[in-house]
Amino acid sequence: MKEILIHIALYTVLWGSIYLLISLGFSLICGVLRIFHLGYGVTFVLAAYLVWTFMEHAHLGLLPSILLMVLVQIGFALIVFYKGIFERYLEEEEVLLSLSLLVFVAIAHLANYLFPVTAGVSLPTTVVDDVLTVGGSTIAYQMIVAAAVGVLVTVLYVLFFLKTRIGLIIRAVSQNLLAARLMGVNVNGMYYLAMVLSILPPTICLLVIAPFWGVDPFMGSPLLMTAMLIAILGGLGNLKGSIVASYLIGFIHATVSFLFVSRFMGLAALIVTLVVMIYRRGGIFAGETLW
Amino acid sequence: MVKLELRRDRIVARWGDWKSEWVIEPRYWRNPTIAITALFLLPLLVQSYPHILTMITTANLYAAIAIPLALQILGTARVNFGPQLYLGIGGYTAALLNLHWGWSPSLTFLAVIVVCGVIALLISPTTWIAKGLYFSLITLILPLTFLDVTFIWGDIFRGEVGLVGMSPLLNFTKVSWNYLAYYYLSLILMLLYLLVSDRIVRSRLGVNLAAINENEDVARMMGVNVDRYKVVCYVFPSILTGIVGWFIVHTFRTFAGVTYLPLEFMTKVLIIVIVGGRAFLYGAIPGAYLISIVEDSLRAVGPSNYFLFPLVLILLIVFLPRGEGLWGLYRKRRPRDYFPKLHVRRE
Repeated sequence: MKEILIHIALYTVLWGSIYLLISLGFSLICGVLRIFHLGYGVTFVLAAYLVWTFMEHAHLGLLPSILLMVLVQIGFALIVFYKGIFERYLEEEEVLLSLSLLVFVAIAHLANYLFPVTAGVSLPTTVVDDVLTVGGSTIAYQMIVAAAVGVLVTVLYVLFFLKTRIGLIIRAVSQNLLAARLMGVNVNGMYYLAMVLSILPPTICLLVIAPFWGVDPFMGSPLLMTAMLIAILGGLGNLKGSIVASYLIGFIHATVSFLFVSRFMGLAALIVTLVVMIYRRGGIFAGETLW
Repeated sequence: MVKLELRRDRIVARWGDWKSEWVIEPRYWRNPTIAITALFLLPLLVQSYPHILTMITTANLYAAIAIPLALQILGTARVNFGPQLYLGIGGYTAALLNLHWGWSPSLTFLAVIVVCGVIALLISPTTWIAKGLYFSLITLILPLTFLDVTFIWGDIFRGEVGLVGMSPLLNFTKVSWNYLAYYYLSLILMLLYLLVSDRIVRSRLGVNLAAINENEDVARMMGVNVDRYKVVCYVFPSILTGIVGWFIVHTFRTFAGVTYLPLEFMTKVLIIVIVGGRAFLYGAIPGAYLISIVEDSLRAVGPSNYFLFPLVLILLIVFLPRGEGLWGLYRKRRPRDYFPKLHVRRE
């Protein structure tokens, strides 16, 4: 029993940190732009397949490929999502949601068409290629690296929002758009910045989890679902809520898979989210602010 | 006793407090009659092309899913992003009961109504709890979770390959007759849904629903029992969608969660509603036909149709008149805008 508890605690931290990385960008857009980015899954797909394309077809090294991929990602997010969809349809949210979802579906199918599963896409982004043995079970060091990166990125983001002037401005935009505009904030510029900032965590996430998670064209959809669950559970666009919800979902997944059957973990997380919503309508931290 | 009363432009039927009006002035029924006649005559022109018949049958079924969705969006004042959940529940209920217990289509029909009704009733409180986008997101997640379940219990649901060999609704000796019969059945189902929804929207109930759609608090203040209407408006269209699932099971005789439950299918239905004209009931029909034709003609392109189809849908949304859709092209001025606005931003 003690061993199981240790496992649950360990995996809560590991999965929670990884989920944090998955959901950070989504919560950020939700908090600043106040929209749901249903095309968020594209980031994972683009990250994986662009790096693969640059490495295999342009014969670039890993690092240049990653840098180039980040640039293309930022361009895609700003031109297609921000300029193409969010800016034009900000007031018609059902159109906005459907369009971003369609872009996501189109990109996933395009990736599947160009690189079917038989193409054997894999990213050589393993940092430590070894396993750690804890209490009779093994954990890949890569997973620990992913969790550590998750915590690190979150800490950096939180520090950025709390300690810098731009962070303060972004928080102001998330709290009261009109008042921020009255104070002379360049809201559009902040939106651009938020879009760029929201790209980085999922991209980093994919790079560190690819070695043990695997890459496939339709991976964006379960990751988007995880991000959405965390955002709903935590309170739309609240980073505090996202942090708590990530570890909570990690805990639920770990508990269900170690005490019951692992295939029920998605269902259990959904039920807990619904129950939480009954008692706290806006999620755990229902404040209309980024922090 | 029903009392009929002939007025200048309409027949009024009264039964106790209940009243139903049927407009008889030609300008009200001429165009619908022409459209319905065209839909009834259409298969006679294309009866030698089974794939076109299948395509228009599918279009009818899409419309039969989109019409209840439009009604639901109107009555709950929330956009349901997962109408296909009930399609899945209805389809699987009918298919499993038919395959394992040998229930006939008429029995599975009743079972589908009961199962969909009960599940929708259990889920319906989310219409009170979850507002705006929260509701959309929860409904978006539910069918995906159900899809997960069909994979988890693969031995029952056969998530990836689907269930096959259910008993057919009709079985003619000539295959082409079957195609025709299924087209007409789907058309009748769709028109029935349209008629029922139309009567609801035009009745006193419809006025209440419009009030809820415009502003829940004001509607509540005016004495509309918002919570009860929302439950009714969630459960009833859900049952209608479930019946479409039942129909698919007993006509195509195959049902796979992986076809109907993923995001792709949902976007198709939602886009029918948007392209057809913002939850305007009649818009669902031209929307469904357009989407079905686009989907079918892209299939000729080969495997690349999977990513071309969403791209074409994006173009349709961007370039069709916004908010009015195809129905708006036909009818320039609409009396009411029934589409609820989703607001995540503070007002």
